[in-house]
Amino acid sequence: MLVLAVAAPLFGAVLVWAWRERAAAHWVGVGAAAAALVAVALLPIGRGNGNWMTYGASLEGGWWHQVDFTWAPSLHLDFAIAVDGISWPLALLTALLGLLCCLHNALGAERHTSGSLQVGAANVATGGPSLAAGKTVGVPGKPSPMLTVLLLAVQFASTLVFFADNLILFFIAFEAVLLPMWAMIRRYGDPAARRHAAAKFALFTVAGSLLMATGLFVAVADIGTADLGAIIVAGGVSPGLSLLVFALLAIGFAVKAPLWPLHSWLPDAHTAAPTVGSVLLAGVLLKLGTYGLIRVAGGLAPQGAADAAPVLAVLAALGILVAGLVCLSLPELKRLIAYSSVGHMGFVVLAFATGTEAGVNAALFGNLAHGLITPLLFFLVGALKARTHTGLLGSLGGLRLAAPMLAGVLGFAALASLGLPGLAGFWGEAFTVYAAAERGGAWFALAAAAAFGAFLAAAYLLRMLRRVSHGPVAPATKGIGDVSTVELVVWAPLVAGTLLLGLVPGPLLDLFGEGLL
Amino acid sequence: MRVQAIDHVALLPLYLAAGAAVLALFAGRAAKGCMMIGLTAAAVAALWVGGGEDRSTFAVGTWHSFVADDAAMGAAALFAGLSVLVAAVSGRQSGEYWFLLAVSAAGGITLAGARDLITLIVALETLTVPLYVLVTKPGRDGAEAGVTFLIASIASSATALMGAAFLYAAAGTLHLEGLAAGLAGADPALVAAGAALLLGGFAFKLAAAPLHAWAPLVLERAPLPIATYLASASKLGGAIAIIWVVFFGLEAGAGTATGIVVAALSVASIAIGNLGALVQRRTVPLLAWSGIAHAGYALAPLAVVTTATGREDAPAAASAALAYAVFFVLLEAGAFASLTAVRPAWTSDRAAGVEALAVGEHATGERRDEIAIGERRTPLEGLKTGGPQGSDLKASAGNIPVQGSGEGGAIAELSGLWRSAPLPASLFLFSVIGLAGLPPALAGTFAKVAILEVLASSALWLAVIVAAGAVLGLAYYLPLARTVLLGRGPSTAKGRFAIALAAVGLALLAMTLAPQVVLDFTAVSR
Repeated sequence: MLVLAVAAPLFGAVLVWAWRERAAAHWVGVGAAAAALVAVALLPIGRGNGNWMTYGASLEGGWWHQVDFTWAPSLHLDFAIAVDGISWPLALLTALLGLLCCLHNALGAERHTSGSLQVGAANVATGGPSLAAGKTVGVPGKPSPMLTVLLLAVQFASTLVFFADNLILFFIAFEAVLLPMWAMIRRYGDPAARRHAAAKFALFTVAGSLLMATGLFVAVADIGTADLGAIIVAGGVSPGLSLLVFALLAIGFAVKAPLWPLHSWLPDAHTAAPTVGSVLLAGVLLKLGTYGLIRVAGGLAPQGAADAAPVLAVLAALGILVAGLVCLSLPELKRLIAYSSVGHMGFVVLAFATGTEAGVNAALFGNLAHGLITPLLFFLVGALKARTHTGLLGSLGGLRLAAPMLAGVLGFAALASLGLPGLAGFWGEAFTVYAAAERGGAWFALAAAAAFGAFLAAAYLLRMLRRVSHGPVAPATKGIGDVSTVELVVWAPLVAGTLLLGLVPGPLLDLFGEGLL
Repeated sequence: MRVQAIDHVALLPLYLAAGAAVLALFAGRAAKGCMMIGLTAAAVAALWVGGGEDRSTFAVGTWHSFVADDAAMGAAALFAGLSVLVAAVSGRQSGEYWFLLAVSAAGGITLAGARDLITLIVALETLTVPLYVLVTKPGRDGAEAGVTFLIASIASSATALMGAAFLYAAAGTLHLEGLAAGLAGADPALVAAGAALLLGGFAFKLAAAPLHAWAPLVLERAPLPIATYLASASKLGGAIAIIWVVFFGLEAGAGTATGIVVAALSVASIAIGNLGALVQRRTVPLLAWSGIAHAGYALAPLAVVTTATGREDAPAAASAALAYAVFFVLLEAGAFASLTAVRPAWTSDRAAGVEALAVGEHATGERRDEIAIGERRTPLEGLKTGGPQGSDLKASAGNIPVQGSGEGGAIAELSGLWRSAPLPASLFLFSVIGLAGLPPALAGTFAKVAILEVLASSALWLAVIVAAGAVLGLAYYLPLARTVLLGRGPSTAKGRFAIALAAVGLALLAMTLAPQVVLDFTAVSR
């Protein structure tokens, strides 16, 4: 089941690529993503009792399932994958978002735009018949199946990252996310910005992942094994190296997360990426960074994490404030949501930095909540941009009158994002502030900063709602269609997930409790 | 009279390669077939000898001049295999061509087993000397390439010999094992000078800085099959020479000086190669400059012998360096071979004694340049030029003349390759992504992992430099990959040499799935 969960997207990607000329290619992709989702969803069956124990060199009891093949022993590389209460929710989120994105493509959710904004503009920019346009002739209005291929490739690599129980495999999977995502931005992105954004994304990410790799290798050389579970149970690297390892890993993951001031690739990438690209970027790629920070960096170098916590916390709190202030003045929707991601990730990192149990739980919870809410926001903004051909706050308005359903869902997502109690966003941020305040002293100031950041989030999201939904109907919003059934189908799981996590956070926290940290 | 016992089995691959060379010289029209069969046999023999127990011969006491252990025979097989690949993508050539190529391969096989400085240097010269002729093709460019290569090569050989002489003066022996024992008590200044000169001379073959400047110039002007050979087998020769000398000879007695020299070579190569590659607009020079950076990465693990803790890891470091070199030359071979397959051919038949042809060649070269300039100035316009007519128009518009005109052409000329020639394009993409070190081309990723693992534990600062270099590398590899994959150029290139390319592709794929095979062969031990 574990192998199926990882392999299904890969086979799906290969099949869709092989059959890219056929009309059914999209549905093969959907099928593969659905298979992966089912496989991941079934993983809790037959899980262990959550007691971590070591028998000799191998680790028993805690992993729900475990698969291990030797690959290249002289590089310490094994194809070792495992799943527990911390990686499973993230893998489930990845599979869910993968399926939704594939559905989004297959159903052509943005088809009612005149010839699809992205493809149309690509033709103008390059002066030639674009590859995508040529491919989509048979299936008007749908994006190229190649986009589905890239989506599935990203999904495959990310799932592998979450399941990797071997540090070298973790690194390779982490790197494997880069190329498909780069191609997605570079090939299907907004023609005006994609070149710059794709290059920036690639360079930042590779710089981060190579630093992270260096940290991983220092740890592997120090301990002599690359088995993630065994290292965490054994208590990480030796104290002398702990801070160094943590610093290298944390910088690497902070680029991916992204933590202020290493975030500058994110708004560009989000603004340029196609809707599904943004969804995966926010819902999955950022999670790689935080998952790595919490699980790998924190697990490999707990001592270093404790030492570096103040620095991390200050950067995170600054990130929350900076993101909030920037968001207050941003004129463009996608960029605004991208920057709000920086703020949310700041909460996650701050919660992790507190080091307390409440803090780590808040980090994991906030991570997951962000993975539901922000993708929903990106889907909504994508739909809005496809209808109005603009993302500028200044030229939008009156959505409430023109498309009441769309405005309603947008309002719901914005409220969830600003942390309204009863929705998923609340628990992560509230407990972050609680965990930071609990530590007292200077941490109290950080908690206050975070709380002020949450207030800023409310301010900028309400400002966004006011500009987009309320007021008189702007020319751009006049006569646009309301939410289609297709879109509702794609968005419904995210809305449901947000409500579910908001109302019943308990089971998820129990899962985190028995995970390996 | 006492006759030294010679283990002929250990020398079998060398005999086969030399035999192939002689056969190719006299076989006339069948020369190509003879050479390819002979070298394939040499590769198989090397693998067979390597698979058996370790052999060694030409003994002086316990020191051997020729050793046929796993690493040596694996490298020998790789030399022979790369030569066969180059032969396969060479098209029709005259008999001497095959003779020279086979001689060069024989030099490589000798080099792989060499364990004393004289054998090593003679082998390296045997590897290089035939290339003086091979890089030269009729016309001004060819002469320029030939003369540059000749002068640079001779200068570096002299440097290496001077270094060897210093080391001989210091240790009183030329056997690498003897150096390991004899250098410890010698004058440190003499040893340091010797090590620096010797390694600097060898660095030429690897095209590592500071003796790197020949590489872009010669590779661009040489015929593409020979550029393939220079970028793969010849570089492997340089890497092996340095690894052998450092690991078997200098590390024990002169570790600190050697480590500093190697670190300097490595850092300089990484910096110069990457910065040089950033500004290239033509394919071959870009690969050549990036190859300089890769030479730096390959040398980096050896630098750990500077410190005492690093010297304990010396076998791991040498293995990592060799593994990187092997992965790297195969990826380079893939990139150059696929480039050869899609570029218009230049054969000695076409230039056979007819001056007019040389002129014509020159003219086509010029025209290609003009297309390149047009593309640089206005990308859109360049993309539309489908044939000579458009470029003639641009020529009359008056453009700046560009120096150099190679067979590789401008990067922009590769656009659209993915659709017109999928097999070479996919091999080229795989190689380029591998050189960038990214999955899914895991061969390159494993190479990076191998060296970073060594560096992370012993020389963290160098690991960070390697990482920074790799990031810079991405800045030119990704646009290259994009051009091939997504470009909408008029490329009408059709792939040739499908079998040879498929063979390289399969080799790279095998390394991606089972890297342990390569890593087992490259595990160096004393």
